[in-house]
Amino acid sequence: MSILEVKNISKSFENTKVLKDINFTLEKGEVLSIIGSSGSGKTTLLRCLNFLERPDRGIIKVNDEILFNSEDPNTLKEAEIRKKRLHFGLVFQSFNLFPQYTALENVMLAKQLLAKQLPEYKTDKKDILNDIKNQAEELLIQMGLHDRMSNYPHQLSGGQCQRVAIARALALKPDILCFDEPTSALDPELTGEVLKVIKKLSEQNTTMIIVTHEMSFAKDVSNQVIFMDDGYVLECGKPSQIFDNPANERTRQFLSHYNQ
Amino acid sequence: MKKLIVALLSVAMVLSLAACSKKTETSGSDLDYVKQKGKLVVGITDFAPMDYKEDSEEWIGFDADMAKAFAASIGVDVEFVEINWDNKVPELDGKNIDCTWNGMTLTDEVTSAMDCSNAYCRNSQIVIVKADKAEEYNSTDSIKELSFAVEAGSAGEEMAKENGYTYNSVEQQSNALMEVAAGTSDAAIIDSLMAYAMVGEGTDYADLTYTVELNSEEYGVGFRKGSDLVQALNDFFKTSYEDGSLLECAQKYGIENSIIAQ
Amino acid sequence: MKQLPIVIGSLNIGFLQTLKLFFVTLIGSFPLGLIIAFGSMSRFAPVKYISKLFVWIIRGTPLMLQMMIIYYFPGLVLHNNIWGSGEMGRFLAASVSFIINYSCYFSEIYRGGIQSIPIGQEEAGLVLGMTKSQIFFKVTLLQMIKRIVPPISNEIITLVKDTSLARIIALQEIIWAGQSFLKGSHGISGAIWPLFFTMIYYLVFSGILTVLLGKLEKKLNYFR
Repeated sequence: MSILEVKNISKSFENTKVLKDINFTLEKGEVLSIIGSSGSGKTTLLRCLNFLERPDRGIIKVNDEILFNSEDPNTLKEAEIRKKRLHFGLVFQSFNLFPQYTALENVMLAKQLLAKQLPEYKTDKKDILNDIKNQAEELLIQMGLHDRMSNYPHQLSGGQCQRVAIARALALKPDILCFDEPTSALDPELTGEVLKVIKKLSEQNTTMIIVTHEMSFAKDVSNQVIFMDDGYVLECGKPSQIFDNPANERTRQFLSHYNQ
Repeated sequence: MKKLIVALLSVAMVLSLAACSKKTETSGSDLDYVKQKGKLVVGITDFAPMDYKEDSEEWIGFDADMAKAFAASIGVDVEFVEINWDNKVPELDGKNIDCTWNGMTLTDEVTSAMDCSNAYCRNSQIVIVKADKAEEYNSTDSIKELSFAVEAGSAGEEMAKENGYTYNSVEQQSNALMEVAAGTSDAAIIDSLMAYAMVGEGTDYADLTYTVELNSEEYGVGFRKGSDLVQALNDFFKTSYEDGSLLECAQKYGIENSIIAQ
Repeated sequence: MKQLPIVIGSLNIGFLQTLKLFFVTLIGSFPLGLIIAFGSMSRFAPVKYISKLFVWIIRGTPLMLQMMIIYYFPGLVLHNNIWGSGEMGRFLAASVSFIINYSCYFSEIYRGGIQSIPIGQEEAGLVLGMTKSQIFFKVTLLQMIKRIVPPISNEIITLVKDTSLARIIALQEIIWAGQSFLKGSHGISGAIWPLFFTMIYYLVFSGILTVLLGKLEKKLNYFR
């Protein structure tokens, strides 16, 4: 059983078709990279998985549970979608940290708000909040930010911000962690520290989907690679196959830009 | 845009319809209305010697004292409210106040907008000039060429218009006095009652004086149209004139010579 | 100089009215402005357009006019004077007019503040499973406040001076008190110096407000 199944996803903005019948599956513990030129629909696909966009058609299943089915209105309700979002985590290109909170508070906030709905919250409030804090600190230490916990985002470098954002997404223990071009907004010398963190997560068998322009990184970290062009999935396979031996002419053309 | 205009027009129409629809009655007795709420609300301005404050926060003056006595005679409390004099008619009609009792000259404009009591006090529009020019400007002929300051909307302004004088309208009678004192106008036309109190030796305007009386006019109390309070007040004026309390009160404020017999 | 205590006493009473009107207006218009701001950003077209029309009418007409209509319209046209007689009614009518007027100005500032916050902030909240109201109160609100403090400060200082407009319906605020000595009151007439004292009251009060608002602005500088 795959952890994620995506079937027949289509999406249009106004009259432009952005996603055209996307299908793929992802196994638990694996890393999927999505590559392709700008405007090919990669980011929209990721935003559909996180329900920031609503697909016009298609089915999204996680662990065999149907999260979204365009034919079933029950899955389209706002409150339902909010719960189902938590299967996914998303790391944005521009971090989107909350500027008024410290690094640690950024990581804790969502978890604290969710904890308020727990039935035992009233009685065990102190313990629950303590647990959340300990877990958040652990995550930031794991990200190499033990001395940055009480800094505000504007006091951190881009690479540090992105690592806080990764910790923030991990705090909710999503089944699948998504990255939307996580290093595109960073200076070249800062991309390394973020990629290293993602690499480490893959070694810990975190299930991830990464939209990226870092080809060598994608090749190194992925179990599966998808090449998208003009809203279609043109090619899907092992990294060695896609990068070293692409079957599609368009894939070859795209990759040749990066090999130069 | 078209929709917006339509919407606006319809709002304006509803409002004006509402405004026109019931412009009728002051149904029922105004006297009963005042008795039932237990107080007479008197609209005034700070206007010595009719309504003013001296050392305490209590309103005194000829009008204020008479209003207190009248309210007592019909068995209600009195409340003085300072109003914007320009808005006296809407204040009355909207029942924000029950009467205007503030040395109000009975002009055609006033008597057509409200029902007024019998006149109780004489007043005139009088010309104010610098004291050292008083000799020069002591006749109606001699003042023709002067530039006047008058209160906007006052009886003084009416006089200036009627006589074809050159004039500037200012906000209050006191501003008109200041204009003369400051030399920005040659003369002012104000109420004689006010002039007696405010101008001349021993006052704030010691170097001004009053000369020519341009007319004579009368003060009355204003009520809503159709109000039976008018009759009640006329009766009260009559009895208090007959028992001498009205004149006694007038003496207290130095206006006994201006009182009209009731 | 025995006039001085009389004038100061009178100005104090007037200034108390000014202060009351000032604070009541702020307390009322801060939340009402937020409601109007949400109305004008509503996705439900009638609410949106009614809110915008309302803001246009209120911002497009003088406060003085609105106050006269609010005070006199019920008694004159509807024959039901909801304000009653006396000082309290004038104060209430002035408060209602000021609250409505200032909420419309505040609503536009709020709207600008809300719309200037990057959409990424809301999206980050959404993917973290927050509800819309949690996102507003925990994420956007403080960022919005930081952005609107400077323009709101301007409006607040303007409000200090605008309170004097209430004299059109004979609310006896400090200018009324100061000016009464020009016309003659308490045996003092033709005196312009009380107006200079009135100026000092305004200057001191707006000075204090400027300092306090500056402090608030500084306090919010801990993040960007």
